[in-house]
Amino acid sequence: MVGPVVQVLVLGLVTAASPAEDAGIGAEADVACLECHRDPGAEDTLSKSLHTDVACKDCHADLWCDGQGRTDEPRPFEHRRDCAARGAEQCTECHYQKPTQTLESVHHALVADGKLEVAACTDCHGAHDMGKADERSRISKACARCHEKVAAVYAKSVHGSALLEEGNPDVPTCTDCHWAHDTVDPTMGAWRLNSPEVCGGCHTNERMMKKYGLSTAVLSSYLSDFHGATTVLQKSESVERPVVALCSDCHGVHDITKVDDPNSRVIQGNLVKTCRKCHPDATDNFPGAWLSHYEPTLEKAPLVWAVRWLYKILIPFMIGSLLLQIVLHVWRVVVNR
Amino acid sequence: MSDDSFVRFSLRQRFEHIAMMLLFTILSLTGFPQKYFESGWARTVVDALGGVGSVRMIHRAAGVLFSVLLVTHLMLALAVLVRRRNVSLTMVPTRKDFTDAIVTLKYYLGRAKAHARFDRFDYRQKFEYWGLIFGSILMVVTGIVLLFPVILSRWMPGQVIPASKVAHSNEGLMAFLVVIVWHIYNAHLNPDVFPFDTSIFTGKISRERMEKEHPLELERAEGRSEDEEPGGGG
Repeated sequence: MVGPVVQVLVLGLVTAASPAEDAGIGAEADVACLECHRDPGAEDTLSKSLHTDVACKDCHADLWCDGQGRTDEPRPFEHRRDCAARGAEQCTECHYQKPTQTLESVHHALVADGKLEVAACTDCHGAHDMGKADERSRISKACARCHEKVAAVYAKSVHGSALLEEGNPDVPTCTDCHWAHDTVDPTMGAWRLNSPEVCGGCHTNERMMKKYGLSTAVLSSYLSDFHGATTVLQKSESVERPVVALCSDCHGVHDITKVDDPNSRVIQGNLVKTCRKCHPDATDNFPGAWLSHYEPTLEKAPLVWAVRWLYKILIPFMIGSLLLQIVLHVWRVVVNR
Repeated sequence: MSDDSFVRFSLRQRFEHIAMMLLFTILSLTGFPQKYFESGWARTVVDALGGVGSVRMIHRAAGVLFSVLLVTHLMLALAVLVRRRNVSLTMVPTRKDFTDAIVTLKYYLGRAKAHARFDRFDYRQKFEYWGLIFGSILMVVTGIVLLFPVILSRWMPGQVIPASKVAHSNEGLMAFLVVIVWHIYNAHLNPDVFPFDTSIFTGKISRERMEKEHPLELERAEGRSEDEEPGGGG
């Protein structure tokens, strides 16, 4: 529905006239436009959108015609996609922050490189039917227009199926992980190194995780392991790729399943294959080195738990005793003098 | 240094101590940022050393050298033990060390009239030495597990790897604290030797100190006791 409206209106505007003086805002001026630019339901669409207070010329200022459809000015763009792609310039008239953020995005970089088919403001928000940003299933459908394969995989995942089939508000959609406006290339080292915190944003939230019976210790248990520690230390370097496993390397990224799904990559039976992606010589004992996001306890990892407790007792005892002996010696020396 | 200088440490022992100092420092400097990776200072150190990959390489290289030092030391000690039968090993703890410790504590508390009288190595020095030996063996063994986790997990349960990490990390911390607190006190801050006990570097100790700190050894050296000649110590 969005497509044809946009295309018809933009097509019409390509032949528009020169910018005129401010002919007044509001319904009057809009009615004038709509006399020519008529599309069934166009008025309806506009009045139902969030931009009910915005007039045609507020966005289409460059293309304001003289009522006769004539213009003396050259068109400021070459074709309709060019107009849409550079639409952010119009949006910044009222919206400063988010369009400015898009200037840092991978999408904008591609547009600047000449790939005009890449996402611009109106591709996600709509041109005349813009709704609120939190109609979340609309987001993944918008991204799916270009990123079809990934969206199809996502739709089958535990997150995607909950969003699209149940309208579950707790699961992430594309923009929750990839960010909406300053979307970066997700294969970049810096972004990937930050991904545990992205996952952790929801997976350490007590209230949310309680609903699904999921542990909130997943981030801390990852960070206290070798992989997590390396990730933290690598953040200050500018690395091309992280050298160690991140959440997505084991759990998948768009194809995340529940951990007890028989095809899950992380259930005990499958885990060694996942480890072998980086450790090709791993044998069946090797996955035992990963404490499976559990804090070591007497039941879950008795050896680790015992060693921890040994040192919790030994170190204070040792240092305390030695300090005591020092204090006593110094005291004796002072007393003797 | 007074004229009567006794030889206390051989050249080999002096070299071992310097090598140990150097390696211990490098291992601590590259080990602690890995243990406390979330703190700001850890990131600073890691960046200064060229990133986490570099820090690991340095730590492992120093660890290998440390292992060589340890193994050589133990082999040489074993060789002495095997070759010289009538040896009284001056570093081995005896019952006397326990009684000495009690007497010393009593003395500190004012319940004994005099300090205990020590032989070549007093109970504190033996404690440091054996702590170092056992601690080093633990660090080397757990270090090897952490260096070859894939290979070693063929023959042992995977849980040994994170257990080794905890042991390695905490034993290293304990060793560091013992050196800072106990060893620095004994070698520098102890009023008997302040500011600096140089004997481990020069290899020599004055007669005056021998009288105070190792009177039993002095008696034997000067022929005033009936004990046998001691053999190589630690």
